[in-house]
Formats: sequence, C-alpha cells, structure tokens
Amino acid sequence: MGFNEIYTTALNNVLDEMRKVCPDIQHAFIYNENGELIAGETETPQKVTNRIINAFDEILERAEAIGGVEAITLNGSMGTVKLYHFNGHYLVAVYSAKAEVGYVDTVVRVLVPTVLKVLEKLSPTPLKNVAEPESEPLGLEKPQEEGLAEKPAEEFPAKESKPEAEPAFTPEKLQELPSSLEVPAVQLIVENIGGLLVPSDTVRVDSETLSNWESAFEGKKIEYVEIETFDGKTARYKVKPIKDSKYAGKGVVQIPKKAQLTLEIKKGELVKVKPVMV
Amino acid sequence: MTKKKKVAEETIAAPLALEKATATPIAPSATDKLRASLEELRGYEGVIGYILRNSTSAAIDLKDPSKLIEYAILSSSALEAGEELSETLNLGEVKSILVEGKEVKILSFTVGENKVSIFMERNADLEKVLKKVGQF
Repeated sequence: MGFNEIYTTALNNVLDEMRKVCPDIQHAFIYNENGELIAGETETPQKVTNRIINAFDEILERAEAIGGVEAITLNGSMGTVKLYHFNGHYLVAVYSAKAEVGYVDTVVRVLVPTVLKVLEKLSPTPLKNVAEPESEPLGLEKPQEEGLAEKPAEEFPAKESKPEAEPAFTPEKLQELPSSLEVPAVQLIVENIGGLLVPSDTVRVDSETLSNWESAFEGKKIEYVEIETFDGKTARYKVKPIKDSKYAGKGVVQIPKKAQLTLEIKKGELVKVKPVMV
Repeated sequence: MTKKKKVAEETIAAPLALEKATATPIAPSATDKLRASLEELRGYEGVIGYILRNSTSAAIDLKDPSKLIEYAILSSSALEAGEELSETLNLGEVKSILVEGKEVKILSFTVGENKVSIFMERNADLEKVLKKVGQF
C-alpha cells in the first residue's frame, strides 16, 4: 500500500469514526487547499462537492482580516454544515437537525489533528503535496456528471465510506511536456495580486515569459504552471498574463495570498516557475 | 391630514397640549429595537462591534475602524455563502453563520430585512451572545 493510499484510508477511517459517534452526519468529506477531494463522499457528485467548496472558498478568501479561518458553522432550520480547518486540510460535515453537533465537534477537533500529525510524521513529503501530482484545479468539472449535478442534496444520502474504493473524482491528467521539449524553470519573485475578487487558483506571469514558453511549444497555449519553492513545495495553478504594467518585465510572478499560504512563501521570495501542458 | 390639523389647533389653543403631543413616543421600529439590543451586546466582554444593514440603511460600530471594509465584505460573503450552502444542502432557512478566525469570530444572521454581523474576540463568550441574539 502506497503512502497516498494509507493517507486516504486513514482519513476515511476518521470520517467513519465520526459517523459512529454521530450517526446523524449526512455528508462528510475532506479536501485540501487546492480544492482537491482527499477523503469521504465517494457517492456525492463532484459538482455538489465543488459547489460546497466554492461557497466556503468565498469566505476563506476574505478571512485574512480575522487571521484566517479555523471553523465555519452554518445553522439551518433543517440541519447544520460545519467546516473545520486543520493544517491545510478542510473537513466538511453536514448534520441533520437532530444531531448533537457539540459532541462530535469535540471528537473532530481531537481526532483529526492527531491523525494528520501522525500522517505528517509518516509522510515522505509534506502532506500538502500528497494530492498535487494529479491535481485538478477548482472549476474543472467532469461533463458526464452534469446530469446529476442539479439533484438536491437530499437525493444523495450519506453512505458508509469505503476506504478501498476509488474517490468519486477522477483527476484530470495533467502532463508535463516530454523532457525533450521541457523548458527550464524560470526563477521569479513572488508578488501579491491586488483586488477584491482574486481567484485563488490562478497566478499571473509576465506576458513575455508566457510568449517565450508558447513559442518553445510550437504555439500551444500555456494554461498551467508549476510553482516550486526553495523548500521543495510544489503546486500547479492556472496562469494568466500580468495585467498591471508596472510589473511588466520585472521578473515577478503574482500569486494570490491563499496560494502563498499554501506554499508557505511570501512577497519578495524567489520561486521556480515552469509551464505544464494539459 | 386631519391629524395634522388637529395638532396645529392644539398648538395654538394650549401650549401644554403640544408638549404632551410631541412627548408621545413614536413606536420604535424593529430596526431601532435591534439596534438597541446590539448596543447592549456591544457592552459584553469580548464583543468588538457590529454591522446592521438593510436595504435603506446601515449602522456600524467597530472598535477598529481600519478593518471596517474587510469585515463588511467578509460578513456579507458569509451571509451569501450561507444561502448558497443552505440551498445546495437543503438546510432550510439559515439561522446563523459563525466564522471562527484565529483572532476574531463573526456571527452573522438575518432578522426580517436586517442583516446583522457581530464581531467578537476569539475567546469571547459565544453562548452569552447567542442567548442575547435568541431574544431578537
């Protein structure tokens, strides 16, 4: 069993234990900072989980003012949804109205960080990178699931999670170019992206650099880049040209704050950036 | 119209009567009551402010006005996201949404047409605040 399987199985077991403690949990899943589903909810359509993740993301993106989010609780007349943030992982649990949220809340706050710490110790690489080699950026939804997507959540009752089962999402295959075509990574200085509605999955690179890459790849459009920090953390993001003319030709890569947190970098630091073809 | 005339007549006839008429309090609106309750909450330990807004007005009271815009955007996003989540997950009417940050927590909810967000320090007594909010 590879580490990824151990990792997913351990987190699925955590979700199972949560359900044992509180059978009134209707849905539960764990995703990472890139919006990738890691454990749980194999039967829920990806579009539904994406809608949940996107809704929470609206809050998470604006939560810097309160020092980042630790938890979000939405109380509705027919149930409760709760998001917990643990070291780059987000656990979402949906409870029915009769659930005793307080008790399971205590269990989650003790159990999940403990399991994550153990996994961190076992992990050959930082946990945040585990799902990244086959990452699927937010917003890339599978067309075959469109038909299911509009069904209300009640039509997707919670089921026992199956640790051995494949996750519902099938990550898009992002391929790096063959080594013969590989362009060396460029070193760029991290810069913030200003504005209110900054997408967290998109970075901006100088249009000249993008043109150079595209020329090297016979005019193919570069839509994704891989960013590698000097600590060895890597992540893939959508890429667009820099809009602000004052950064043109300055050797910078504009990275959203959330992505900077994920990569544990900040403005002014150097990172390696290289194109990735879909 | 008739009422207006009557008041005018009273003014001329007897100043004392006018005093009596103007002293009769206009019944406070639901928003006024809500605002008064929020002012009371503002005195609770750890409560750092509130935003009360509806389609025609907004009342803001924050200890640190420099974060006003960020807090306003965040609380508005929380309420919108709450509606979206409730619809997606069939959670019914949204009662409240609590965003717990590392430094501050925000409790947002809707009362009639009023959207309310209460800002608290991380260690503020949420139960006490919720008890008061339950009276709204």
